[in-house]
Amino acid sequence: MRKPRDFFLYAGLGTLLGVALLVLFFLGPRWLTTPAPGAAAATASPAADTRKIHARLFYVNAEGTGLTSVEQEVVFGEGTVQQAKRLVEAQLATPAPPLASAIPQGTKLRTVFLTSKGEAYVDLSSELRANHPGGTTNEILTVYTLVSALTSNLPAVTGVQILVDGKEVDTLGGHLDLRRPIEQDLRWVTQ
Amino acid sequence: MRTRRIIYAADALILLLLAAGISGQAPTQGGPLTVLSRDGRRPLPTVELQGRQMVGLDDLATLFQLQIREDAAAGAVTATYKTQTLVLTPDQSLVSASGRLVSLPSPLVRQGRRWLVPIEFISRALAPIYDVRLELRPASRLLIVGDLRVPRVAVQYDDGPALLRVTFEITPRANAVVTQEQGRLLVRIDGDTIDAVIPPAPAQQQMLSAIRAVEPNTVQMDLGPRFSTFRASPPVSIGAASVLTVELLAAGADSSAAPVAPALPVFAGAHRPTISTIVLDPGHGGDDNGVKGAGGALEKSVTLSVARRIKAVIEGRLGMRVLLTHQDDNRLDSAGRAALANNNKADLFISLHANGSPRPATRGATIFTLSLDRVGEDARRQSQADREVLQLFGGGTRDFSLVEWELAQAAHLDGSHAFAGILDQKLRTTAGLPSVSLQRAPMRNLAGANMPAVLIEMGYLSNAEEERLLTSTEFQGSLATAVTEAVVAFREYLEQGPRTPMPPTPAAQAQPPTP
Repeated sequence: MRKPRDFFLYAGLGTLLGVALLVLFFLGPRWLTTPAPGAAAATASPAADTRKIHARLFYVNAEGTGLTSVEQEVVFGEGTVQQAKRLVEAQLATPAPPLASAIPQGTKLRTVFLTSKGEAYVDLSSELRANHPGGTTNEILTVYTLVSALTSNLPAVTGVQILVDGKEVDTLGGHLDLRRPIEQDLRWVTQ
Repeated sequence: MRTRRIIYAADALILLLLAAGISGQAPTQGGPLTVLSRDGRRPLPTVELQGRQMVGLDDLATLFQLQIREDAAAGAVTATYKTQTLVLTPDQSLVSASGRLVSLPSPLVRQGRRWLVPIEFISRALAPIYDVRLELRPASRLLIVGDLRVPRVAVQYDDGPALLRVTFEITPRANAVVTQEQGRLLVRIDGDTIDAVIPPAPAQQQMLSAIRAVEPNTVQMDLGPRFSTFRASPPVSIGAASVLTVELLAAGADSSAAPVAPALPVFAGAHRPTISTIVLDPGHGGDDNGVKGAGGALEKSVTLSVARRIKAVIEGRLGMRVLLTHQDDNRLDSAGRAALANNNKADLFISLHANGSPRPATRGATIFTLSLDRVGEDARRQSQADREVLQLFGGGTRDFSLVEWELAQAAHLDGSHAFAGILDQKLRTTAGLPSVSLQRAPMRNLAGANMPAVLIEMGYLSNAEEERLLTSTEFQGSLATAVTEAVVAFREYLEQGPRTPMPPTPAAQAQPPTP
């Protein structure tokens, strides 16, 4: 026969377990689903395909020596990597005049991946180099178009490394050092 | 008995888990943002929640005249300013701003009776619908309301045995004036106020006892017991920033320079006072044409032609050794160009290029020096920290510092900037270029150069008029003369050190110290 003291012990344990389950039921989901700092919107929605975000895209300024930012709608992407892809695709598209893109014609996005340090690797097709017109200014505008688009719109992205056909490259046309991720530099953005 | 111990242990474990779960929710207070407006400063409290800086919607409502309303049926919170409405949904990171979706780094959360949003809500969601400009600077915890001019001011120190150089990098460009009064130097910067990042003053030299920002737009330097006098340069424009250098001299140091002698940065590691070898790097070559002008001119041909002219003029007039990275129309990779200069122990590396822009009207020359990212800045600091003076066989000493080969330029940036400034003037005055700009960028072929190094974009081949100019014999000759004169001026600068005066930039001002 069990002692009454043991009965109280078992009853106490049962009560504590009940309280624990209730607390985790009400607080747990919010606690567990809070996005990691810096993560982009990751809310699932059945209408994700048609949703758009309001983003800053970058084009050649009127002087031809820097970039100007333009507010545009960009297709919503689920999570930082998908949103980064949508942003790069938007930058690769030919803009309507008078906007002018610094990305060479025919450049296609192969993929984007993101490191734990927030460095976005943007893998582009060989047209990026083959069709590039050359010159330091052109090269700066091309590189910082991509860097600015990702770092300005996605706080989780700290730098951008450009790959061509899946490989690291020294430069696009002999000027800017692309061996390491390029950080945001707003000196090239005039507004 | 044993069973009872196990049960007690289980009870304690559950209590611990509960405590951890609840404390995980608990917010901690963050430092407030400072709101700057024409009306003055006021704090805006923030709360740190799971590593994110959050701000109360109620505080924003008071500050920006927002109407906050909870819509229980829709499960949303709305913030209305005049006719525009922001719709926030608890636990979601998206805000609907007048029908458009804006992404936030973390969702709207409830804390007691308050709603909290990440501080980025202000710049991303509120600013676009607000009448007045709102600029959030999270790093300096500032929220600027309205058209206030608040330049960023970054202070750096560079110390020598009897000298402390204080550099102020002011972004965007703004004028600055240095005055001395009652044991302190005041640096007044044009602006309504300043956003200053000031590291503690180096204590070992006892020339600067304290330094701090003083309202509204001044950096105050309290002078230490060893301070004797100072020299201040006029602000120099470098990229989007103005750079002002103030040198504090210790008692007994050579202060024979004129009181207003502009102080260019000293060439780091200037163990050889003169220039004996120069490497010229004609951009591109071989199957790499570089830019192709509208009239068909190729960048590789222009750069090689100009390089040959410069070589001829410098060798003929100055008797220096001048090497070209490639003599003929050959292709050479970027690393090989700097390596040739390093292997020949060159004192100066000049890369020659012609530019291209998507806009045919774009024109003007640009002089590039290397900009450093975080890795490069680390290399630069390391090179300064590791510098050692070693005795040479046969007498004398020499500075040595260990820097990664590919970041060798990090240790020579002061010299590169000094040469760029001199070259800028010579291109304007001698070559008659109406437009020359100085820029910093992560240039590949400058990164590995273990000597002062610049890249000159001589003009735009994409501009028809500049294409004609760049291919003309006369213009190429005047460029060669300008570069040669810049080399002479740089040599004098190296020989005489920081006392060599530089013509001030038109907007620059610096007041002499009071006697």
